[in-house]
Amino acid sequence: MKSYVAQRLAVALLTLLGMSLVIFLLLRLAPGDIVDILFSAAGYVDPQDKKAIMQELGMNRPYWVQYLEWIRGIVTGDLGKSYRYELPTWQLIRPLLPVTLELAALAIVIAVLLGVPTGVVSAIRQDSGLDYVLRVLSLAGLSMPSFWLAMVIILSLVAWFDWIPPMTYVGPSQNLRLHLLQFLLPALAVGYRSSALIMRITRSALLEVLREDYIRTARAKGQTPGLVVWRHALKNAMLPVVTVIGIEFAFMIGGLVVTETVFNLPGVARFLVQAIQWRDYPMVQNLVMFISIVVILSNLAVDLLYGVLDPRVRYGH
Amino acid sequence: MDRLQRLALLGCAATLLVALLAPVSPAHAAKAGGILTLTQREDLPQGFAIHETATISSVWPAMPCFNNLVLFDPLKPNETPDTIVGELADKWSWQDGYRNLVLFLRRDVKWHDGTPFTSKDVKYTFDMLREAPEAPQKLRLNPRKDWYANVEAVEAADAYTVIFRLKRPQPSLLMMLASGYTPVYAAHVPSASYRTGCMGTGPFKLKEWRKGEFVEYVKNPDYFVKGRPYLDGLKYIVINEPGTRIAALQTGQVEVSFPSEVSKTNAEQLKAAVPKLVITPYSINTNDNIVMNMKKPPFDNPKVRLAVSHAIDRRALIQAVHQGGAVPGTALAPRPYGAWGLLEPDLQGLPGQGKATDEKAKAKKLLGEAGFSPQNPLRVEMVTRNLSIYVTLASFVVNELKQIGIEATLKQIETAQWHPMGTRGEFQIAANLTGIGPDDPDANFYENFGCGSPRNYSFYCSEQVMSQIDKQSQELDPKKRLTIVQAIQKKLEEDVARPIIDWRLDYFTVWPYVKNFIPHQSMYNFGRVQEVWLDK
Amino acid sequence: MAISTVATAPELAAPRRPATAGRTLWRFVRKKPLGAAGALIMLVIIVTAVFANLVATHDPLATNAAHTLARPSAEYWLGTDNLGRDIYSRIVHGARVSLIVGLASTLLGSALGGVIGLLSGYAGGKVDLATQRVLDILQGLPLLVLALVMSAALGPSISNVVIAISVPIIPRAARVVRSSVLSIREMQYVEAARGLGLSHLRIAFRHVLPNTVGPFIVLCTAQLGSAILVEAALSFLGLGVPEPYPSWGRMLSISAAEYAHKAPHLVMFPGLAISLAVFGSNLLGDALRDTLDPRLRGA
Repeated sequence: MKSYVAQRLAVALLTLLGMSLVIFLLLRLAPGDIVDILFSAAGYVDPQDKKAIMQELGMNRPYWVQYLEWIRGIVTGDLGKSYRYELPTWQLIRPLLPVTLELAALAIVIAVLLGVPTGVVSAIRQDSGLDYVLRVLSLAGLSMPSFWLAMVIILSLVAWFDWIPPMTYVGPSQNLRLHLLQFLLPALAVGYRSSALIMRITRSALLEVLREDYIRTARAKGQTPGLVVWRHALKNAMLPVVTVIGIEFAFMIGGLVVTETVFNLPGVARFLVQAIQWRDYPMVQNLVMFISIVVILSNLAVDLLYGVLDPRVRYGH
Repeated sequence: MDRLQRLALLGCAATLLVALLAPVSPAHAAKAGGILTLTQREDLPQGFAIHETATISSVWPAMPCFNNLVLFDPLKPNETPDTIVGELADKWSWQDGYRNLVLFLRRDVKWHDGTPFTSKDVKYTFDMLREAPEAPQKLRLNPRKDWYANVEAVEAADAYTVIFRLKRPQPSLLMMLASGYTPVYAAHVPSASYRTGCMGTGPFKLKEWRKGEFVEYVKNPDYFVKGRPYLDGLKYIVINEPGTRIAALQTGQVEVSFPSEVSKTNAEQLKAAVPKLVITPYSINTNDNIVMNMKKPPFDNPKVRLAVSHAIDRRALIQAVHQGGAVPGTALAPRPYGAWGLLEPDLQGLPGQGKATDEKAKAKKLLGEAGFSPQNPLRVEMVTRNLSIYVTLASFVVNELKQIGIEATLKQIETAQWHPMGTRGEFQIAANLTGIGPDDPDANFYENFGCGSPRNYSFYCSEQVMSQIDKQSQELDPKKRLTIVQAIQKKLEEDVARPIIDWRLDYFTVWPYVKNFIPHQSMYNFGRVQEVWLDK
Repeated sequence: MAISTVATAPELAAPRRPATAGRTLWRFVRKKPLGAAGALIMLVIIVTAVFANLVATHDPLATNAAHTLARPSAEYWLGTDNLGRDIYSRIVHGARVSLIVGLASTLLGSALGGVIGLLSGYAGGKVDLATQRVLDILQGLPLLVLALVMSAALGPSISNVVIAISVPIIPRAARVVRSSVLSIREMQYVEAARGLGLSHLRIAFRHVLPNTVGPFIVLCTAQLGSAILVEAALSFLGLGVPEPYPSWGRMLSISAAEYAHKAPHLVMFPGLAISLAVFGSNLLGDALRDTLDPRLRGA
């Protein structure tokens, strides 16, 4: 088991290193840099000024030097300074993390609470009217653009209640009710999508398992169908479902970007969009690395969970 | 009359007299207190460093922190030399025929950290702005350096007297000093510190700038104007999404609109939803214009340029793109929004202002004379910025050009590449927006039409017009000056230097209990928030 | 021998009516009604896209200042936008753009990814391992973020949007094809081909590839929906298909949100169009998957 974990960790680190290189190069591929954006804000261009600012920010050094400095910084804990705000990037990222993490966590909880039970019901009542309705509803959730759902929610709130959630962050200690309102609505917008995926996976995984011989045996032995479902089928069906939950957490970032923008939540995703537009290389690099780390960690957690849940994986790999 | 009657008469007269002479208490006395919530369309580009930026996103949230030497009266919507009031300077006078500007500074002003304000701060700021060789600091970016091209020296005669010595007379200098773009920086902090914080003398002190989220101010208790500001604090909330921003304004979470963000349609929508909102149309001193690169074919040919100008139906564009929320004009803002614009009758004769069919016919004829025909059509690439307001403008223009036989493709340029492309002249024709700080010919002409100016994107250069521009800059008689300025505007349109399509209007929206927030004819100059109070 | 007799016996015992295309289709519709519905939706959209000029009622680019933000009416079936352009016609023409971008990026990404997966899976060993790591990297970066950065890098144009959206698809396609290849590679007929002396490349393309078609088709239909959604999100953020092409995603962006309170149809209809297209492709994809590759039902 230990070597399995160690092997996986080594692979994860290598992947992260690769990702850092890709994002570093991709960013510099984009035309324009922070100085061009600053010129845009100032309404004029002067090549002399550009040279001076690039020197001040250390951007005129060769790429490999800048890359190594960034990597070294990550290892030593100094994530560099934002080009736009001239403050340490960690200082800017830190308040964003809890917002995005809370939103993602709430979205996953909603997704699981919505997705798993509907998936179970749909599987048990396969091909019935209810099954079709649930499948159509969940597919509708997967088909809607997440930002559209967010926009529709805001529009409806204004039209029906003449109210929208607070535009600045309200902490749980300040006003719990407002805080929950502020987070539950966007979490619903993001979670509905994920719930659709989880519902489909739960349904198909459960269907697979229900067809297995040992289930038929249990039923033949006379065990009540409910017990059969719970005891045998569901536990084994959970494996792919857990996998999807882990992967969904990472994939959610896309949905979070637009949701945070529409609902004006001060999270990582919204900041990332601004940082890309500003060509704020240190911010984008570190934000994307953070997201990648979350993705890799969740994949790792899923892999490890696989190893725990499925003994075949542990020993036969 | 007997004694009693006489006494009664006297009593009446006395009462009347007292009543007439007694101070009239205003029906609405300004109340102190309250926090005003405003909004920002994007986070501050460079913090509070007004001198290093040229965008409303920078000036609007930073003005409450600062003071100018002089400012346009916040309570008067028009901005003219007559509406200029003192801030850090309480008296000033022009001497030597507008060659020297002497300003007498207030003695009771303190910076937010308690340091006393003196003439040293003024000299420091303006030496830095004009990039004097002896300036102790240099701005990283200096967009308005040319405003001070005529300043020979800035003298601190004593601790509370400053003299601007000019190379030649320039009455416009005072207008530029009164713009929101001209605050006074503190000499005892580095200029770079304004990008992350704000050391000002203004009515509000910076409390917190939570990056990407909001800017919060608290009242300056030691402000030199007693009884001001009325408000206890300000909060500018950053909302990037326009739909969300309008929703926040509509539901009252935001109490003041962001200048330039409320179009006519938005205004109608807001008024329909919340009838009690106070909505004021005003000019934001920003115009839509077409830039044609005169250095390269085909627009080096004046006939082709003139054809383009004739082809664009100004009024139809105003209706289609702005739904009527704009006005036609020339290089300077038209009346009643600006003081220098051409009047209707003079405007009529200019290209694009007449009847659409006549104008398009004229345009086709000119194109024919330039050698283009349906068999040999003119093909151009129009560029514009990758923002929705630019794109809708450009799309309409492309359509207009199509109708006279010019095949134009539209290319969108990202923000980062726009200005460099313009300065290098790597384009043929562009749909553009230009915003100007104060409504002043000097602030406008040199930058946009001056020979060799980096922002003269069309590369227009006329010695004759330049000399006229210099002449009006030194003209001391306002009436004579107006005549010269109007003549210049006409010439610019006839030369097709940079055809102006229209001047945009914005619809300043506030909730009814927000008092004394009066929009000016330029959005860059009324953000001090010193006189605003809440009737709650 | 015994097995083959059993297998063919029913064939001889009960004569069947010849299986025509029509009957197969009817069987498909009956067995998989949702899939049939999806196919129908996709067909309608494709026909609309191809015959956009006939189906539309107005020029999608023509502005009309007199009728801005008009409600749906007899003349403007779905109303007009803030420039007076007919929304119905823009949606019809937008089908063309969204479909082209979706299909092109899906095919590009899937094809590239498929080839990579095929070669990597077939080659095995170190090559496979290295390729896997590279794909891991590409896949680890969230879809929208990668597309965002690529779009910013390449600039706004239709071809660039196609490239930007296809890049995140490559690793996913490679994964699917590779796993399919891995299972086929060990099969007997491949061994036989090797024994006969056929070159690896030939084997890879002539023998292994055709058997991956099933999962590949499933992948394409699944990714098409995702590609359309990513294009919509990119357009919403201002980085997608540029003017003047009417794109469903861009119809939902900035100007729509601003005017939505007065004219909700501006927001509702393009969103419904996108949802319908993705819905249809997902339904179809599900049904195809169930039919062509039951092994993947759990995926």
